[in-house]
Amino acid sequence: MEWISFLEKWIWLGFAAVGFAVLFNVPIRTLWVIFLLGALGGSLKFLTMKLGGGIILGSFFGAMLVGFLSIYAAHFRHAPPFVFAIPSVIPMVPGAFAYRMMLGIIRLTGDVDPSVYETLMHETVNNGLKALFVLMALSLGVSAPMLLFRRESAKEIKVIKIEELIKK
Amino acid sequence: MDNPNIKPIRELSKILLEVGSLLMASGANSARIRTTIMRIAEGFGYNAELLITHRALMLTIFDDESDYYQSSLKRTSPHGANFRMVSGISRMSWHVVEDNWTFEQIWAEINRLKSLPHFPRIIILATVALAGASFCRLFGGGVVEMLVAYVATFCGLFVRQEAVKKGFNAYLCIFFASFTSCLIAGSSVKFQIGTNPEHAFATSVLYLIPGIPLINSLSDLLDGNIMNGLVRGMNGLMIAFSIALGMLCAILIYNF
Repeated sequence: MEWISFLEKWIWLGFAAVGFAVLFNVPIRTLWVIFLLGALGGSLKFLTMKLGGGIILGSFFGAMLVGFLSIYAAHFRHAPPFVFAIPSVIPMVPGAFAYRMMLGIIRLTGDVDPSVYETLMHETVNNGLKALFVLMALSLGVSAPMLLFRRESAKEIKVIKIEELIKK
Repeated sequence: MDNPNIKPIRELSKILLEVGSLLMASGANSARIRTTIMRIAEGFGYNAELLITHRALMLTIFDDESDYYQSSLKRTSPHGANFRMVSGISRMSWHVVEDNWTFEQIWAEINRLKSLPHFPRIIILATVALAGASFCRLFGGGVVEMLVAYVATFCGLFVRQEAVKKGFNAYLCIFFASFTSCLIAGSSVKFQIGTNPEHAFATSVLYLIPGIPLINSLSDLLDGNIMNGLVRGMNGLMIAFSIALGMLCAILIYNF
């Protein structure tokens, strides 16, 4: 039963990524790759969170997977890797945390009594920090392959082709 | 002024600034803009230095032989993500290096990329609304909540597109969209349609989140382009602020 719900999540994650891809007007040939990357990255995030890794570590692993796969995708669909990577990680962007922080800040300007103020402050700071750290994890994860291989362009990174693997 | 080397440098600087401003407007990060421009400049055998800011680009090209500097400045056009453009320009820059493209070929390619169609409007609306419904499902909503999120996202995005067409301030467009979405999704909370309508309310504005500014901001900061990173991050925060303001207005109207 758990696997079915996991598979279902997979599909919704893919659609969320494709929705943003269409909004960003990506080339059509990259759409299904973005579906796959978004779904895989999101699943890894949920898996990490289920194993108790927390949302920040989960986002980092998910984004890293997307980052590495986007290098492969760039070689084989001929577009810069970030065209694949950005729409795929956007569903992981902590939008809910960011606007909750903003709502909290707006509410903090009102006249609230000290006990309410304390919980409100706690929530606002917590949401803001989570948003910041998840974002850091995402951008670090996406640029991880470039940072590790120390190249300026994905074209200079050698990718082992699947056919060559089979030949070996 | 009769130096024969001057003309190609001028032409090249025009091309490079056009490419840079298109990339900036389409949502590329600073490192990508710099790499692409350097690649094209080197393809023609010149040294280029570039100053990238959010609203303008400054470029200096240097020719060793004639000891000639050409500096120029260009404003970037309003921002709107267009990855087809980024992808096309990246491929073009490799054509310049590998196939020795001429200036005419580059201009033709830039014009072709500019005229490339966007997705049809109804498809954009439908897919982004589907993404909104998917978010709702991932947050734990049921069928009814997904439907509410779908309609809210659809109408919100429509309002945003119309507002952009009318030429409103970019943040005001986002405020209008967020307000519309929250009004629609909030009605389901007010009248208790579905089991937990809060999910629909919370996810109805997620299509507005400033993903590109925020991710680009952090990747610029990582690269050491601190100024650009801060500017982009501030832009992202302003967008988040507009979303929250729209939500707050809807919450005040429904009074929950």
